[in-house]
This record gives sequence, C-alpha cells and structure tokens, in this order.
Amino acid sequence: MRASIKWLKDYVDFTVTPEELAEKMTMAGVPAENIEFLGQGIENVVTGKIVELYPHPNADKLSVCKVDVGQSKLTIVTGATNVSQGDIVPVALVGAKLPGGIHIQTADFRGIESHGMLCSSDELNMDSKIVPPEVRAGIYILPADTKVGVDIRQVLGLDDVVLEFELTPNRADCFSILGLAREVSVLTKGSLKKPMLTVHEAYNDKAGALAKVSIQATDLCSRFTARILKDIKIGPSPVWMQQRIQAAGMRPISNVVDVTNFVMLEMGVPMHAYDYDLLAQHSIIVRRANPGERLTTLDGVKRELSQDMLVIADAVQAVGIAGVMGGLATEVTSATQTVLLEAAAFNGASVRRTSRALGLRSEASGRFERGIDPSTVDKALDRAASLLEAMGAAKITHGIIDNYPGVQLPKQITFDPGRVNARTGLKVPQETMVDILRRLEFTVEPKPGQVTVTVPSWRGDVTGMADISEEIARIYGYDSIPTTFPCGEVVQGTQSYTDTIADLTKNSLCGIGFSEIITFSFIHPSAFDKLGLSPEHSLRQAIPLLNPITDEFPLLKTTLMGGVLDTVVRNISRKNEELKIYELGAVYQAKSFPMEELPAEPLMVCGAMYGKRQPMSWNETRENVDFYDVKAAVEVILEKLGIKNYSVEAGEYIALHPGKTALFKKEGVVIGAAGEVHPKVLDAYGIQRSVYLFELDLALLEKFSRLIGGYQPLPRFPAVSRDLAVVISDTIRATDVTEAIRSTGGDLLANVQLFDVYLGEQVPDGAKSLAFSLTFRAADRTLTDAEVDTHYNNIVEHLGNSFGAQRRI
Amino acid sequence: MEQQLKELRNEAVAELKAASDLDVLNDLRVKYLGKKGSLTSILRGMGALSAEERPRVGQIVNEIRAELENILTERSNDLKQAALEKRLAQEKIDVTLPARRPLVGHKHPLTLTLDRIKSIFMRMGFTVAEGPEVESDYFNFEALNLPKDHPARDMQDSFYITPEILLRTHTSPMEARVMQSKNPNEPVRIIAPGKVYRCDYDATHSPVFHQVEGLVVDKGISLSDLKGTLDLFVKEMFGSSVKLRFRPSFFPFTEPSAEVDISCVMCGGKGCRTCKDTGWLEILGSGMTHPGVLEMSGYDPNVVSGFAFGIGVERVAMLVYGIDDLRLFYDNDSRFLAQF
Repeated sequence: MRASIKWLKDYVDFTVTPEELAEKMTMAGVPAENIEFLGQGIENVVTGKIVELYPHPNADKLSVCKVDVGQSKLTIVTGATNVSQGDIVPVALVGAKLPGGIHIQTADFRGIESHGMLCSSDELNMDSKIVPPEVRAGIYILPADTKVGVDIRQVLGLDDVVLEFELTPNRADCFSILGLAREVSVLTKGSLKKPMLTVHEAYNDKAGALAKVSIQATDLCSRFTARILKDIKIGPSPVWMQQRIQAAGMRPISNVVDVTNFVMLEMGVPMHAYDYDLLAQHSIIVRRANPGERLTTLDGVKRELSQDMLVIADAVQAVGIAGVMGGLATEVTSATQTVLLEAAAFNGASVRRTSRALGLRSEASGRFERGIDPSTVDKALDRAASLLEAMGAAKITHGIIDNYPGVQLPKQITFDPGRVNARTGLKVPQETMVDILRRLEFTVEPKPGQVTVTVPSWRGDVTGMADISEEIARIYGYDSIPTTFPCGEVVQGTQSYTDTIADLTKNSLCGIGFSEIITFSFIHPSAFDKLGLSPEHSLRQAIPLLNPITDEFPLLKTTLMGGVLDTVVRNISRKNEELKIYELGAVYQAKSFPMEELPAEPLMVCGAMYGKRQPMSWNETRENVDFYDVKAAVEVILEKLGIKNYSVEAGEYIALHPGKTALFKKEGVVIGAAGEVHPKVLDAYGIQRSVYLFELDLALLEKFSRLIGGYQPLPRFPAVSRDLAVVISDTIRATDVTEAIRSTGGDLLANVQLFDVYLGEQVPDGAKSLAFSLTFRAADRTLTDAEVDTHYNNIVEHLGNSFGAQRRI
Repeated sequence: MEQQLKELRNEAVAELKAASDLDVLNDLRVKYLGKKGSLTSILRGMGALSAEERPRVGQIVNEIRAELENILTERSNDLKQAALEKRLAQEKIDVTLPARRPLVGHKHPLTLTLDRIKSIFMRMGFTVAEGPEVESDYFNFEALNLPKDHPARDMQDSFYITPEILLRTHTSPMEARVMQSKNPNEPVRIIAPGKVYRCDYDATHSPVFHQVEGLVVDKGISLSDLKGTLDLFVKEMFGSSVKLRFRPSFFPFTEPSAEVDISCVMCGGKGCRTCKDTGWLEILGSGMTHPGVLEMSGYDPNVVSGFAFGIGVERVAMLVYGIDDLRLFYDNDSRFLAQF
C-alpha cells in the first residue's frame, strides 16, 4: 500500500519527518518498507509555453522553439516531434538537474544556442504505469490550463513523499489512506479529520425505483449498496485527484473511474460503475455463475466462469465478476448518461478463489480478499457520489439502494487488564490501556479491574483478549517489554536416540575425512534410469508433487544416491580433484498410491568418494582411493556405534559394480552396502573416473547400535606375535580363512590381521598367498613359546585340512 | 718415579686437550686410565717403593687420576655439545614448506549452525522434537489457526501432494503435534528443527530450507519471557554486544506476534549493505501462542499460555559465516564445504 504524505496530511496533522513516521509505523506493526521521495533529483524544471516553433535551419531532425517560462522567453532546440505551438511542457532551465545526475547547460546545436531542454515523463523519472498513455511517448504535454513558470514538481505532484507499507494480512483496515491516517493519528497523538459526507441529491427520482437489486448468494455478499447518478459528463478528473491516484501507483483514466479508485484508496472500499442504460431491465442480481456462463471482462478477455464464482448479473447475463473485474459490455464510456454506482462487501475467500482461478488480481480483489468492513460501504458510496457531483460530473438521484443481509452486531470484549499485562510482561496502568483503545476508536467502558470494549467495525482481526493485548503492547511500545525467563520446573533438554545416532554417524564420517552435503529432497525420474533400476524397482515408487517448482524436481526422492552422484558430477566438473562426501537425510516412501496417509520418512546415510586418498603433498606420492577405502568408512561408522559381529559379504546392490560390492549384514539383515559405482551408472552420469559409494539405513544402525559397554580391559601380560603365510586357491575368500584361523586359535588368539595378499611369481596359477599376523596372548600368564607353537601348528594343520592350504616359508 | 709421573701427567693433559673427537678421547682414557693404562701400570709398580714413599706417591697418582678424569669429563662434554650442535645444524629443515595435512572432513555449515542453535536451547531446557516433512493440511495449517482460504496461506506457497497432504511450509506443525501428544495443559518446552518447503526458487529463495521451531507452554508464560529467551539466544549465537529488537507483526498462530531484529552483525548497527542501511537484521518471527491454537490441541488458554518462535537456519548461518549467496548451501562444492 502506497501512502502519500500529502494525502495523509489531509486527514491528520503531523510534524514528524517521513523517516520518523516510517519508523513509528513500523514499530507499531504497520511496516513501512520503503520511502520514495518523488521528484528527487529534479531541480529548476518549470512549466513553459511554446510560443514559437520552427524547423532548425541546419538540421532536419531538430526544431527550434521559443518558450515562455514566466520570467523570460528562452530559445530551446528540441528533437521532439510531438510538440506544437501553444503546448505547455516541462522545461529544464540552464542549471537544472534531472534524475540520474543530468545537468542542463547551454549547448550549441548546429549554430543555434539552446537554453534548456523540454522534458518527457521518463526524464522526470515518472513510472510509465501511472502516466496517461498519450503523454508517455515524447515530451510531456501538460493540460492547457497549466500556469507557466511554476515548479514542475508542484504541477505534477512530485513534491511529495510516498511511504510503501508492507501490510500484514490481519490489518485490512490499513489498506486505505484513511485507515493509515488513523494509525498515524494514534501514534502522533494528532486528531483524525474524516472527509465530510454531504450528498446533494439533485433529482427526486428514487434510486430504488430506478433499479432493482437482489442478492441470491447471501453467503458470499453481505451487503450491496448502489446509487443512480444522472447527467454524467465524462472528462478528466481534477488534477489534485489525479496526483493522489498517481502517488498511490495508479493511473488516472476519467472522472468516473478516478473517483471509484480514489474512494477505494481513501476508504478501502472497491467500487464499480455500470452504464445504467446497458443493464437489462435496470436490475442487478448477485448470484453464482450459471453453468457454462461466460463474460468478457474490461480487459477484453472472454472468460469461462465456474459455478462457484460470484457474479453481478443483470436480468439476462453476468455483467461483472464480483470483486474481481467488471464486464466490458456495461463499461462506462463517453456515451454514458446514467451510472449505477456499486459499493459492496463480497466474501473474501470467494474473491480469493475466483481471482486465483482466473489469474486476475487487482487492487480491488486484494482488498476484498483481506475483508471489507460492510458498515462502511454505504459511506464510500456517498463519498464517491458527492465527489462526482462536486466536480460537475454527475447529478445524484434520491436515496440509496441498500441490501444488507449480513448485518453484524458490534463485537464486545471484556478483559481483565491484569491478564493483559500478564500476557505481555508489561505493567501498563488501566487508564493507559483505556486511553490507547479509545485512540484506536474502540468504545471503552472501564470498571475497576475489568474493561469492556466495543470493537470498531473495521477491526475484524480483534476477537479476544489476546488481540487486545497486542493492541496495547504495540501502541505502548514493544521496546518497553522487559526481558524475563520462563519459570516453571527446571527441566533438562534432551534429544532423541535417533538424533544421537545421526550425530555419532556424522562425527565418525567427519573424523575420516568425509564432508557433509545437503541436497534438495526432490528427484527426477530419469535418475532412476541412470541408477540402473529395473522398471518394477520399488525405489521408482516416488511421490509426485502436484505443483513441482520446475520440471527438474517432480518427485520426492526415494534414494539419496541421485543427489550424491549429482554432487559428484558437479564437483568433477569444477575440477575438484578429491572428494569425500556424504548426505544424511530422509527418503520418502508412500504407504499406498494414491496417498491417503503420510509417507514413511526413513533416514539414510549415503556417501561417495573419488580421487586421491590424501590431499596434495610435496613429498609424498599419493594413491587413488579404492573399494577398501569405502569399505573402511562403513566399518568405522559401525564400530563407533558399537555394532559388532556383522558379516561382510560379496553381493549386489543398486548402482554398484556386481564384483566390487560388499553387503554388511547383521542377524541376516542387510544394514547397508559399500562398493564401486557400476560402470554403466558412471556412464549414465557422464563420469569418467572410478567413484566409490556406500549407503546405510539409519534405522538399522539405531537398532543394532550398542553405546553402552564395549570396553575391553588392557592386557596385563605380553603378547607373542607370529606371522603365517599360506598358499591357497584363489577362489577361497579371505574372510573364510581368517574365520578359520580365529576359530582354531581359540581364546589365546587375541588378534588376526591379514597383512599381505600376493599373486604372481612363486605362487601357482589359480592360487594366492595370504599372509597373516597372529597375536597370541593369555589373560592370566605370559605364554611360553611351546604353547604358542602348539596353537600355531594346529592352525596350519586346520588350514591344510579345510582349504588345502600350504604353509609358505 | 715422581718425575716419571709428572711427565706422564703433562703428556696426558696435552693429549687430552688436543683430542678432537669422542673416539680419540675414549682411546686416551684407555691409554692412561684403563686397566692396562699407563697410570695403572705405575700404580702396579708401587710395590717396589718403600713404605714411606708409597703413600706419597699413591696420593700423587690419585691426584693425577682425578685431574685427568676431570679433564676427560669436561672434554667429553665439550665434544658432545659440539657434536650435537653439528647434528642440529645438519638437520635443519625448511619449516615454511607446506604442512602434510590429513584429509579433514567438514560438517555442512547448516548442520553446524543447527547444532549450535540446538545446543543453546538445550542448555535452556528445551527438548528436541522431530516430525514429518510430509505433513497433513490439518497440522500444517488448520491446527495453527489457518483454515482453508485464509489469506495468510498466501504467505506460504505450498508444495501439495494431495489436496490434504503437503510438504510442510514451516516447522510450526510440531507445535500442535507435541501438544496433542501430551496431557491437556502439560508444560511444553521444545524446539523442532528440520527441513521445510515453499514454492519459491530464485537467488534469495530456496524451495528447501531449514527452520527451528520453538514452543514453551506453561502457566504464566508472557511475551517478556519470549523476549528474554530470544535475547539470550541471539547473544549466545552472535555475541554479547548484539542488541535485540521486538517489532509487532502478524502470524496467524500467535497473538501478540513479534518480528525479531538484531543489530547488524556486519556494521554493528551503523548501517551497511547487509542491513540495507537500517542497522537491523530481521532474523525470526515469534509471538504468544494464539489461544485458538492452544484450544485446538486440547490446552485451555485460560489456564496456560505459551510462546513460539521460528528461526530460519539459513539466515542465521549466512550471518554467522558471512555467506552472501543462499544457493551455495545446496550446491555442495567441496571448496565451499571445506571452509567450515
């Protein structure tokens, strides 16, 4: 809502600067987002009359004019083609300043000295939206009765300041100059001067006899008022009114239209004028649109109406969409002789739905959506009628047509001032509360410890004690609210076990060099193809959004892999040579389609890595990460969560290389997987290097986690280490050999560590050499060599029997 | 004999003083003081001396031995020191060469910010509550005083999945969820962090972003309690010199409502580009829980009152780290991530 300071001063006297007013209003809950100084940067531009105009003798495209600027006549060379002798135009004198830092100086144009410049509206920095179309192009030709030699800022209303208010939805009452002036009066303690409402009814014909109004949809129209105005003389509205309208960001059109807009801006009530003679049977019916009904609106667009839309119709057809836009057929034109002027209160929700459905939003619909005070619509009607009458544009017939099915009794609220203070933490005396509410035009009946107020009709947002407390606090000043702390039992803040598991997982990954990423929760179905999912794969059952923000993101993601691999691609494209990343977040799984209940949102953690194992270094050779690095990441996570006795098996997992995938299983359940990304997936993502990926289900990590216990006492006796190298068939898995060693070694075998895998010379084809470091230790004594030898030989023998392993010496 | 000893002593002292390294010094020790050394042999030959001479010569021998041992120790210390100094000089490296850094992992700046916010409020006794991102219209809007067709729904353009299910537009549904999970009027002190969604995607809007909701319900909770709580929060988060400003505002689920500004962390309130020359930065919305919201969740507004707030995590993180582009958070460039 744009509010001109000059306009506000029509209704309330104040001396504070625009900046101070903006601050006061903002701190009272009516935020002023911007202060616009109209005419800023314009100096020494005055009105001038072109008294002579002739072509430039030495230039085809230039003209020379003699311009009367009051004190003197100037010779000015212009390139403009739209000016004629006698026109009154803005003249930038020598020494003038124009917006954008332009300084006007004497200049020589092909032998003729020019002493100034004729200006266009653009050069005066006027928004083309508010300038009449006929003066938008070329020099701004002012009305013929404009005085000469007057500062242009005064003539065009640019000697004004506009505050732009960003209104909150509850303050419909501030969507008008008068409503804002009321707030200003409360905050500056000036009195509010409301416009005079005296209607001079020149004709005795009764409005009620001239037109019939009926409201069929009383649920969507609480009040409809109309007046009939005769002897319409269409013409421009007075300059002062045009300037007010322009300052508000609208464009003057004609006296009738301007008056309806002026009153809407002034009082917050949108109005509409119909050509009375074009209304079939001079009747108005407020009803829902008929099936298949159409209407061409004022903007010339033919619109299909649906049956839940409220229309204004005459006896035959719709002539306007209530609260949204009028119809073209009954538009007021220069031929109009009689006008039916409408002021009504339509249901906000209905206007909102209709304007959204039609994609038509206007100053009027915006006001209806927030809610119109039905008790003011007749006053707005009278105000408009009297303004038109005063400017000689119309004569008013007798009386007002007023259908008011939705009369509302004034709301009363009784409150305990002590409870208001308890809610705000302020200590406002009862008298001060009474004073504040009276200034806000509440009717107040104070009793000791109890106050009853009648809420003004325009404050539909005030419904109870809580609202009263806000009114008191915002006018008294939020700055005065002290800082205190909630009392009550002392409580300890806690978080869920799931959060703890997530935190520990993030800490583990951070500790081994993985950086966390956060991606959007959306996915494109092509990602499922890129990940190589079969057509019937359950991960393809993603939840579609009804209104995705772009075609890129139509679905909620069912896997984190897509976002992680997209991030890999982005980092590769930016030449980031090493990457270790992970995301911990939800995926979204519908329980059924179509969705009737909320989906499951299981948390997953998915990581990826590529590039060198270490950052660049000047004295160390670096190697690329491989499968065993990504496997380690999973092991560290499991270890830190106290998950033990899980198995690692070769297996298959989405998007992973079938020969380089480890499944982590615990009690027969796959907790997650780690592996190299499948070459086809890499291809689909356009990645030309090896990428390793892991994924874990956080719910399973939580289920198997054990954060209590897990400590092993440090050994008190020394250990004996022996190395063992065996040659076995290449098809035997390392883990099986390790397990066999462990089970044979028994309690005394404290640790088995595979430290070398060798294929090549000295090892037969189809075989491999595995080297283990075995650590023997007893908890209660120092082992003798003989004891260790026995166990060692048992292990060698067992490996020989089980796997045909040969000890390699 | 005495003459012989004197000569031996002079010779030994001269040789010891001239010894240039520890090996030579050791050889000299053996030569003079060893089991078969010169001094020892003289001592052995003392049997030939008379009983009168023996103590005197013995004393001289002992004196010489002590003197030589002193010289040896001193000399050996000197040589060790010299050797050490030589070694230290030889071992000097260029410490300005780059360090060998391990690959360090980084938490996402939003996680770090969220963790700090959580920790501040947990110390004030707030418990962390989590709830679904895909939410029902009821919890996201209706239970928060936003019936269908409420104009304030326009403030939050929503992603719908069905007409009744949507992506939550704020973390506020957790207010109703938590209250409805408790006994009527049971005290509440929670924060609810998480992802939220709005249909807005440009340089300054992300369709996915993070909020932390806060809710306190108890007997006698007031707007000044809210101000005190948030004042403590902003001072912990942004530093004790930061000032807090409460500004009246509107949210359908709070009454009175307050927009919370802090004095600009970039310019200290003098006015700069970040605060658009106002000296203030808007950081969160808050207010006293609307009586209707309490009622809909089975609480009696005549018995208890509450306050609620919603903190934009991206906003806080941008201010804390001085990040000027919201999109960086979801771009996940490793050069960005490595800075936190």
